[in-house]
Amino acid sequence: MHRLTQATSLLTGRELILLAACVVITIAFASVSPVFATPENAATIMRNSVELLLIGLGMTLLLAMGGIDVSIGVVMGLSAIAVGRALGANLDPALAAAIGPLTGALLGLVTAAVVVLGRIPAIVGTLGLLGVYRTAIFVVLGGQWLSGLPTGLTEMLGTSLVGVPLSFWVIALAYLAVWLALRRTPFGLHLLAIGNSEEKARLAGISVTKVRFAAFLISGMLAGLAATFYVATYRNVEMTTGSTLALDAIAAVVLGGTSILGGRCSLIGTVLGVMLLRILQNGLLLIGVPSLWQTVVTGGLLIAVLSFEALAGRLSFAKLGWASR
Amino acid sequence: MNRLRSLHGPVLVLAILATLWVVVLAGLFVLKPTALGSATVTTVLQFSTILALAALGQALVILAGGAGIDLSVGGTVSLSAIAAMLALKAGMPPLLLPVACIVAGLLLGLFNGLLVTRLAILPLIATLGTFFAYSGLALALTGGSPQPGVPHWLLPWGRGTLGGIPLPFISAALPAFVLAGIVLVFTAWGRWIYAMGFNERSARLVGIPVDRTRLILYGISGMLAGIAGLVSLAWFGSGRPNIGQNLELESLTAAMLGGIAIFGGRGGVGGVLAAVVLLVTLKTGLLQLNVNTVWQVGIVGALLIFVLLADRLSQRWR
Repeated sequence: MHRLTQATSLLTGRELILLAACVVITIAFASVSPVFATPENAATIMRNSVELLLIGLGMTLLLAMGGIDVSIGVVMGLSAIAVGRALGANLDPALAAAIGPLTGALLGLVTAAVVVLGRIPAIVGTLGLLGVYRTAIFVVLGGQWLSGLPTGLTEMLGTSLVGVPLSFWVIALAYLAVWLALRRTPFGLHLLAIGNSEEKARLAGISVTKVRFAAFLISGMLAGLAATFYVATYRNVEMTTGSTLALDAIAAVVLGGTSILGGRCSLIGTVLGVMLLRILQNGLLLIGVPSLWQTVVTGGLLIAVLSFEALAGRLSFAKLGWASR
Repeated sequence: MNRLRSLHGPVLVLAILATLWVVVLAGLFVLKPTALGSATVTTVLQFSTILALAALGQALVILAGGAGIDLSVGGTVSLSAIAAMLALKAGMPPLLLPVACIVAGLLLGLFNGLLVTRLAILPLIATLGTFFAYSGLALALTGGSPQPGVPHWLLPWGRGTLGGIPLPFISAALPAFVLAGIVLVFTAWGRWIYAMGFNERSARLVGIPVDRTRLILYGISGMLAGIAGLVSLAWFGSGRPNIGQNLELESLTAAMLGGIAIFGGRGGVGGVLAAVVLLVTLKTGLLQLNVNTVWQVGIVGALLIFVLLADRLSQRWR
């Protein structure tokens, strides 16, 4: 019990280390590339982080309860097509914006039905869905890109509200909602309990099916929201849109200190993990590393973090916050 | 009672797969009669070889339980083929190419095994990480371009046939399955694998070296992927960095379709081979009917979900 309610202090050791890592690699890249430490590039990194952050929030919920979704990037891709089509049909931008989360929630419903109701291991079920959705994207797009979409949505999300763009408020609201659900409601407590031990959670009277179903639904909805932002930013949708986001999100969330074994999670950690990953990817690109190396770096980072955690856990470095808290 | 019924499992699985296969063939015959010739048999078995080897490794890893899964098989196939070709380029004697390819696969598989057994990282996340690292490396090291220059003496093996059956199928895939079948059914080691998958705790309590066995199985899965990589080299005459694409999904589907229980401890390799042939026949049929290849991944994915749902339902009915 202590383990579940703890972790309310603002920054734990893990998060401080991530923050320090962000600073260190920023300084390192800045000393090598003259373009890296410019306001323009900082803005690029922030903009590129938005979709990953939203999907990362959902992935945090999933991993915390011992789940996973490798199809989530393609869910964003499909939702982006829906938003793009809506914009292309000159739908009101506000309505088009809502179509993103709606499509995402719908696809989340499918995932939840397969994984939770069908009681298929999440990794296998979502791998199957990944295949299905990839075909679906091709069929829906008909082999053509959506491009040159109207600017209405972009303008709407860029509207200044109390001096800050509307998009910032939406993201902050999404973060706050997930944080509240995780830390201030029975849902969050149950989610972590399921992550600790599904069997014990069931015995304690927690409706495991409902909680898991809700988590997949929320994750899908957040991916859909990410799609709205994606379309607003890039105003085009390709066959490959979102294809690397699932790995990026899993890596960022694991980096942030959420345990894949479940029962432990950190939303601030996820935010920092997202920043670290995007800074790293941007910096490597700027110092001339071909983009083909990105999956190698991300996959390698994931393995390295997990290995380090395992080794640190064995040496009982628990105080540092690297091992199981 | 359940144990008694599970003895009928393999026969049932084979019967279902054979029926499905006949349905696929009949469908193809109705839609395009010219597609069914002895040449098609050769093509199907040729394409089956790589998937069969990958699926066998996948099946063994899953069979041993402990949430075992090898998502990196496809990446291992690509990277072992590419690594061998790059070594050749760097001056390795051509005669060593087959050995290099297989050893590369073995090492990549053992790395997975170490992550899973020594560091106790969940197989799904460990092999997801290595999947991206391996397949990414194969692409990054080559810039995505095929690596030509496979020695000529290797090609007759990769492209030859014996009585219409491709040589790699006879000499690599078939022996691997026969050997695996014999080991699983007739040796203590095979019983250990089932025991581990059925109940890991009891297996440990009776003194089965669970971790060592599992490490070896991941190594074998990698080695089989290395052999698959070698088959691809001998067949195409060049190393293709994306040869293992979608193999994680296809091998998993073949294993599940072949009657391997997702939580381990139940199933045999005969069904897996039948499932591989069924899958490849289906894919070849779609190609013959000029269906875009993009449909393949969706159909295989849907099949995977369908098989697992059907398995769940049949368990409920028992």
